[in-house]
Amino acid sequence: MGNKTAAHTIHVKINGAATTLNVPPTYRLVDILRNELNLTGTKISCEVGRCGACSVIMNGKLVNSCLIMAYQIDGADIQTIESVSSDALHPIQEAFLEGGALQCGYCTPGMIMALKTLVEEKNKPSKEEVLKALSGNLCRCTGYEGILRAIDLLEEKEE
Amino acid sequence: MVLDQRSAGDRWKKRRDGIGKVTGELKYLTDMSFPNMLYGTVLRSEHPFAKILSIDTEEAEKLPGVETVITHKDVPGLNGFGIVIPDQPVLCEDVVRYVGDAIAAVAASSKEIAEHAASLIKVEYAPMAPITDPEDALLEDAVKLHEAGNILHEAHFKKGEDVEQAFSKCDYIVEDTYYTPRQMHAYMETEGGVALPEADGSITLYAPTQHGFKDQMQLARILNIKAEKIRVVSSPIGGSFGGKDELNIQPYVSLLAVKTGRPVKIHQSRRTSIKAGIKRHPMKITMKTGADKNGKIIAHQVKIIADTGSYATLGPAVLDFSVEHSTGPYRMEHVCVDGYSIFTNNGVSGEFRGFGGNQITVALELQIEKLAEKMKISATELRWKNLRSTNDPGPVDQVIVPTTGASDVLSKILESPILQPKARQTDDWKIIGTGYSITMHGGGLGFGRSDPSGARLSLNKQGKLEISFGFEECGQGLIPSIEMIMTEQLHCAPEDIDIVIGDTAKVPHSGSSTASRATNMVWQGIRRLKDPLTEKVLSQAAAVTNIPKDMLKMGSGGIWCENHGGREFVLSFKELAASFDELPVVSAEYHFPTTPNAIDGGHFLYTFAGVAAEVEIDLLTGRVAVTKLDHVISAGPVVNPMGYLGQIEGGASMGLGFALFEDAAMKNGRYMTENLDTYLIPTIADIPKETKVTAIEQLVEGDNYGPRGVGEIGTVAVAPAIVTAIHQATGHWINKLPISTEEMLDIVSKRLFQA
Repeated sequence: MGNKTAAHTIHVKINGAATTLNVPPTYRLVDILRNELNLTGTKISCEVGRCGACSVIMNGKLVNSCLIMAYQIDGADIQTIESVSSDALHPIQEAFLEGGALQCGYCTPGMIMALKTLVEEKNKPSKEEVLKALSGNLCRCTGYEGILRAIDLLEEKEE
Repeated sequence: MVLDQRSAGDRWKKRRDGIGKVTGELKYLTDMSFPNMLYGTVLRSEHPFAKILSIDTEEAEKLPGVETVITHKDVPGLNGFGIVIPDQPVLCEDVVRYVGDAIAAVAASSKEIAEHAASLIKVEYAPMAPITDPEDALLEDAVKLHEAGNILHEAHFKKGEDVEQAFSKCDYIVEDTYYTPRQMHAYMETEGGVALPEADGSITLYAPTQHGFKDQMQLARILNIKAEKIRVVSSPIGGSFGGKDELNIQPYVSLLAVKTGRPVKIHQSRRTSIKAGIKRHPMKITMKTGADKNGKIIAHQVKIIADTGSYATLGPAVLDFSVEHSTGPYRMEHVCVDGYSIFTNNGVSGEFRGFGGNQITVALELQIEKLAEKMKISATELRWKNLRSTNDPGPVDQVIVPTTGASDVLSKILESPILQPKARQTDDWKIIGTGYSITMHGGGLGFGRSDPSGARLSLNKQGKLEISFGFEECGQGLIPSIEMIMTEQLHCAPEDIDIVIGDTAKVPHSGSSTASRATNMVWQGIRRLKDPLTEKVLSQAAAVTNIPKDMLKMGSGGIWCENHGGREFVLSFKELAASFDELPVVSAEYHFPTTPNAIDGGHFLYTFAGVAAEVEIDLLTGRVAVTKLDHVISAGPVVNPMGYLGQIEGGASMGLGFALFEDAAMKNGRYMTENLDTYLIPTIADIPKETKVTAIEQLVEGDNYGPRGVGEIGTVAVAPAIVTAIHQATGHWINKLPISTEEMLDIVSKRLFQA
């Protein structure tokens, strides 16, 4: 990052680790993750909060990291895609692989974060709740059919 | 066979490149960064059409953190790019022809400084009135956008006698004009990459593209250095669909890296991607189709006006494809097709999944429906009367591989539950309609276009069977398809294989990953290489083990001995590799199968599709929802069921967007949309509640051309099926896509009012 003259010190927990950052208060979370911390699993695509490629979980809520600024994350707890499979693949990730829920894979981390937020909030979400929860995440490759297959597989396994 | 996980059985394979994608560990080329790296940005034109009077970079250069600012003066070689015709300036000198034209590029220590510097570049323009309608570009007094005039390309096809005379013999004639939208690829990863200069003057470029060697060739011309000095690493790609076939940021990062001697990265914003990137050609297609009293189509006249925008890229080939597919899978006696691809000051149109087939299929299939309506017979009856049969020539009267694809998809799609008469209840304020369409689609680049491919197979020192192609992984599943063909042809395990693609330093020339060609080329390559490699491997194994060669076979993990009905593992690939003085390598060069007839762009291998659609129309809002889609695809054997299914499903969603809401509208040469909040692609809430894909694998006996690619076929016939379903529900024909909600509301309001 270039101009750090106006940098502020920010304390934040990222993927469980306490982190201190020295960045301008209006630096975007997506840039912090990708450029400062090399967490490039969080993708960048529309930068206006429409596509969901940069989705991360902040204090338990799904957010578009392109719309969150550094000052807003002071004291926050942030989880990125890199935290999802620290030991083994998460059941959502397994289901994505088995259902054919990804092609180019660029939307996949954001899609998984959105689905993870939903299943953690609601134990057995209805089809309508799934469609609503994922409608902020765009995928251009799969036509979403593989993603729905993965969700079915996930439900089957839970039963 | 209905394609799903159950029917695929153990051929339903998880992608070997999938783990990196679900964990976020995979580094896309736009995720890369290097020590000492600079960030670049490109200054694009403020006007759709203007003379450049002066470019002043002084203030930008003075900004702290700026390393260099380049203009046309800094292009050492050809200041132009374009896969076939390099007519697009890398950096404009005296004129800009569209809002994406590049004028200068900056490299600085941060993205923010680079962008600030770009805003400090003073360009003095003399704006001119842009040509925004291709038909205006044809007027005699129109300004010439390029030296040779405003027609990029014309393509004509004539068959039979004078078509006007043929119409005089028709009992039924329908004529209409159809308009298709400027669809955007909307790959989720925008264009980007990093160029690294090396001490010896060579460069390494990490940037997604559909044809690494083509980029290498184009960049060599621009940089004025030998192609061998440019290494292009081009996969993985975060989606492309044709949109990353042409150069985008590669010239700028390369020029900036050479000039500064430091790595330079550009990752375009979505706004810039929309402004500068190519789109699907908007077409105006006028079609007149006539039949005799028995329903035989005897006359067909087509005029295509394609808005190709300001530069060529693959505009000529797209038009040739539309012209070729103007009669589709139907036999027609007297045909006259005139196609024109016209320069305007709109955004550049070019290569996009379906490649001109989508536009022409909308017009053709709706003409068939309307002709049947006029004759008071069913469109199905009209299709059967005129459908091509096994040994008929291709649509431009060329020799093609005998195929039953047309009748196979037609008979199968008619069995779709969507099309069976029934009364389905819906809400009081909604109406339901159903319809279907069929199509045929050529694969490969076509006659007269160099379409070679190459493959290399070796046993490497790690003891892996290393298979290498110059193809790219755009997400379509090239990697899993290579793995499946390898394991099935060489009887080895997935773990025994190394797949090498997407790096000009490591791969053979295979041609582009476009035109639904890669799957077929991979299959052909491995078929050619398996016997010569097996021969070398087993000869060595026999020498090492003293077992007669004819008792040895390749198998999972290495070499197996077969005797008395039993099977015993004798040697691992790793042990075998260690025993070679010189490791075995075999390679092959071959060509995509082509028609022998000298018809420019004419194809030889075709795929076929039938699509049935059910729509629900909201009478209160005019909103159309596609509730069910059935697809029947005839494309030869299924190599990779998950990949095949994904291509059809994804293609369908793109076809749905093309029909219902996608249009990168332009006004006065400027995009009316800047991002994905106003350019709407289908979301998970927009797709049908039910989708079914049926694959017809059978080929005519003696057809040894193997699996055809399915990258495009799933998207071609979706829109006309949706429009036909809307007609069934409302009695109204839509001729302009995307379907306007205002038009729908108008139609359904009249219906409500009448009721």
